[in-house]
Amino acid sequence: MTLAQKKTIISILAVLFLASLVFVQATEVLRRRREAGLSAPRVAVPASSTACVECHAQETPGIIDHWKGSTHAEKGVGCVECHQADPGDADAFDHYGARIATVITPLDCSHCHPTEFQEFEASHHAAAGNILASLDNRLAEVVEGSRVPFDPHTPTPGRSSAGPVNGMASVAVGCQQCHGSQVALLATEGKSITFEDLVPDGNGRPTNAAALARVRKNADGKPLFDPDTWPNTGIGRINLDGTRGSCSACHSRHDFSPRRARQPENCGKCHLGPDHPQKEVYEESKHGVAYRDLREHMNLDADSWVLGQDYSQAPTCATCHMSGNVRNGGKITHDPGERISWTNRPPVSLVMDTDAAHKVLTESDPELRRTLVKDTWQEKRQRMKGVCSACHTPDYVNSFYEQYDDFVVLYNEKFAKPGQQIMDELWKQGLLTRAQFDEEIEWTWYYLWHHEGRRARHGASMMTPDYAHWHGMYEVAERFYVELVPQARELAARAAEAGKEVEAQAALAVIDEILARPEHDWYEQ
Amino acid sequence: MDEAKLDAQDREPDRRGFLEKLAGWTMTGGLVLAYGTCGVMAARYLYPSRSRGTRWQFVVQASRMGLGDTLIYRSPAGERVTVARQGTTGDALDFIALSSTCPHLGCQVRWEPSHGRFLCPCHNGTFDSRGVATAGPPFQAGQSLARYPLRSENGLLFIDVPLESIATLDEAG
Amino acid sequence: MSALSSWFRARLTVPWDTLRELTNEPVPNHLKHWWFCLGGTPLYLFFVQVATGILLAFSYQPSTRTAYESVRYVTEQADYGWFLRGLHRWAATFMVAAVVLHQMRVYFTGAYRKPREINWIVGMCLLLSTLTLGFTGYSLVYEQLSYWGATVGANLADTVPFVGGFLKRMLLGGDAYDEHTLPRLYVLHAALLPAATIGLVALHVAILRLQGVTEFRCATEPRDAPRFFRLFPDHVLTEITIGLVLMILLAVLATIFPATLGPRADPLSTPEVIKPEWFFYVAFRWLKLFSGTAAVLSLGFVLFVMFAWPFIDGWIRRRKPESELSVWIGIVGVLAILALTVWEASVEH
Repeated sequence: MTLAQKKTIISILAVLFLASLVFVQATEVLRRRREAGLSAPRVAVPASSTACVECHAQETPGIIDHWKGSTHAEKGVGCVECHQADPGDADAFDHYGARIATVITPLDCSHCHPTEFQEFEASHHAAAGNILASLDNRLAEVVEGSRVPFDPHTPTPGRSSAGPVNGMASVAVGCQQCHGSQVALLATEGKSITFEDLVPDGNGRPTNAAALARVRKNADGKPLFDPDTWPNTGIGRINLDGTRGSCSACHSRHDFSPRRARQPENCGKCHLGPDHPQKEVYEESKHGVAYRDLREHMNLDADSWVLGQDYSQAPTCATCHMSGNVRNGGKITHDPGERISWTNRPPVSLVMDTDAAHKVLTESDPELRRTLVKDTWQEKRQRMKGVCSACHTPDYVNSFYEQYDDFVVLYNEKFAKPGQQIMDELWKQGLLTRAQFDEEIEWTWYYLWHHEGRRARHGASMMTPDYAHWHGMYEVAERFYVELVPQARELAARAAEAGKEVEAQAALAVIDEILARPEHDWYEQ
Repeated sequence: MDEAKLDAQDREPDRRGFLEKLAGWTMTGGLVLAYGTCGVMAARYLYPSRSRGTRWQFVVQASRMGLGDTLIYRSPAGERVTVARQGTTGDALDFIALSSTCPHLGCQVRWEPSHGRFLCPCHNGTFDSRGVATAGPPFQAGQSLARYPLRSENGLLFIDVPLESIATLDEAG
Repeated sequence: MSALSSWFRARLTVPWDTLRELTNEPVPNHLKHWWFCLGGTPLYLFFVQVATGILLAFSYQPSTRTAYESVRYVTEQADYGWFLRGLHRWAATFMVAAVVLHQMRVYFTGAYRKPREINWIVGMCLLLSTLTLGFTGYSLVYEQLSYWGATVGANLADTVPFVGGFLKRMLLGGDAYDEHTLPRLYVLHAALLPAATIGLVALHVAILRLQGVTEFRCATEPRDAPRFFRLFPDHVLTEITIGLVLMILLAVLATIFPATLGPRADPLSTPEVIKPEWFFYVAFRWLKLFSGTAAVLSLGFVLFVMFAWPFIDGWIRRRKPESELSVWIGIVGVLAILALTVWEASVEH
């Protein structure tokens, strides 16, 4: 081999070497891009919170670990930024040199998240705590429990000095853990102090000094919460500063993870069960099946989570009801009601025409309705259709809504309104006692609209046939024909025997009129 | 060296045809390029170009500071930074973040609203509201207070500070 | 240019021409065959190791608390750090392979025979130095296998009669793996052994140059083919070519099969399978076939035979001059090494 040949070979090899280095450079660039996206940033504790973190890392390491995984920690929002309290706050206390409050309300979050706060306060979620006056609460407070503590009539081994039975336990642990309690501080004279006593101003600070003075504190000066009302992260919690809600209901503390809030399991803490099985319905639907299969590819960790842009494999609860999509410019709303066109909560479903106060209009006069309505149900439906259209064509979406509307109307007209009519007539005629839930038919009616009727409607709204039909309309029909109608007739018959013949006749006439309608006439044949 | 025993072909070192010269040049060029690139990569490894270790950290809600207000922000690395509001247009340009450490000998400076200046108590160095020295030893040395970048997002003020110093690196890694 | 060179010549009074003559040694023709270039290969790879090793040493921290994180920093964060580490890992494998292949070549061509016995012994020292560099280097990563491999290695050293305890303590810097061990291994790997290797290589090349390369003629070569060619530029160009081929291989391998990071060393949790680096598989398997002292003694015996081979071979050939026994022994040895290595590689325990 001549020298020249050798040199030529070396030149070629040198070029090949250079080529392999290009390969190396490409790998380096890829690595840097990946590193920019993936590296979990190390958290530096903000100076104001170093003392908190040092102690609590020993005392309650879970809190610190959670917080370190949060975006708050990345951005230098520590303990003090959220927990600091004004001296005038009802629940403020001194804690190792810092003045803090335990409970963080939406007002506290609103200092940095004002938009979300406004949307949320306007939403039905924030109103969830206001069920205190509704039927449900009597169920838990009176039927399941007792509004007044009562004596245990036999001792429990090992707890002989336990004291009277707290009849509000079912409410505190059941209803209010989802709907939200009315946060109360213990008072020195034994009662409780809520925001109604404190009368907070626009900044959440109490204006009633007398109420403040009655707050019972422990030896360290820490105000004591009524254990029936705290701990509680119900989404409609009524806080001491007058605001409603708890952001940590969905953005659980202390990592306040949007990732978790995007997942159906998060909503499923409350939106499940025999009376509103949204979670079960979703899981059975095609959407839920796709989600379960593809969740790892859905960029749940991403900052921007816009349907049609950052992911499109499947919608979750958040996708349809709150998150941004390509049709609405990626805008998130913290008011799920903005996209709901039917409210299936009441016995008879209503369309979601809302007024300026975000309340559903029940006014039947069309002219009056037109003047009151601020946001129509059609506009809400359009927003929801925007979500659907990221994956579905207009014909598909519109026909689905026809199916859905038809179903709700069928339920309304065949079972809900007639059922309501029958019950109203029985009450009107005095054939039922004043008390709720003391007669079988009241439970029957409750099951029909509150449990089975809701299930049916939810199944229809989220395309889950089994819940729409077998767990839904089938059971509604059974409840109506096999229980409600015979029970109503029996009530009337017994009332007639007891002397209330006129009233009984009136009630029976209503029932007969309903059953004579073409959709019911199969029943009596 | 016995010339006779050398390889016959290699006994003609003076036949420098054009092709042989070209081979020589391409060889040298190729080697320099290839190994040179390796060297550049090694140099990049030794001198990382991006400065890591600073991050945008939350300071305060902008609405909580009025015109003329100052607060002392302590960074996670322990540095004291004076954050002052000097304007009311409503964005990050209203604010200025200056290190409180005097560049002369390291004492902590104080903002004096009455005089509109920063004063260093050690040797009476003064700085104007932009951190430029106006009197005393720092002025003589033409120094100014170090500035930190600020930005505003949704009405919240953020500062870009180093997260760690040797003092805070007490854990492994 | 010649003005510059005469400026230097006037000041550095070295007999340049004599030097040129001395260094431009005639290289026997057989070195045009690539099989004979296996000596320069480990040398080139050693340079690669020194260069990449120095760069890696800028970031490595030899403390049990921070070693692993510093390696992670190099692998995941430092610009091209993964590449340098990959080069270092692969060049280590290639260097050991090249040294072993070179030794085999020298063995099978009988180039260790008189008067070259001393250089064979120097070469054996280089082999041991290279293997120890490989062992200490991997221990520095402080992965699970690093820690447990070092522990097992030290315990094996302990079984050597008489000096075992001393050896183990010297290796670990204590009775057990503690905070003194890693700095010790680091100095061994980054300073002592490289210095020793440089010295041994210098000795190896000097002795080689003094004695001249053993000449070979192939049966197929024509009678009047020239016997020598020049070191510079011919052989140097060959070596450059080899160097480039190696760099390409290393760069590609470092990119496709990058050096990874296993779980961090946990002194409280022994992994299911502890294995040394591949070049120790043969010794590992050998030690597992026997037990305790017998294993270590037999291994020591094998090493002794390897060191003393030129003399043993000389003794054989004095008995039977044209004996090819050494070749057969060599074949058996190579096959045994291969078999033991493959065996160890294919099983877990």
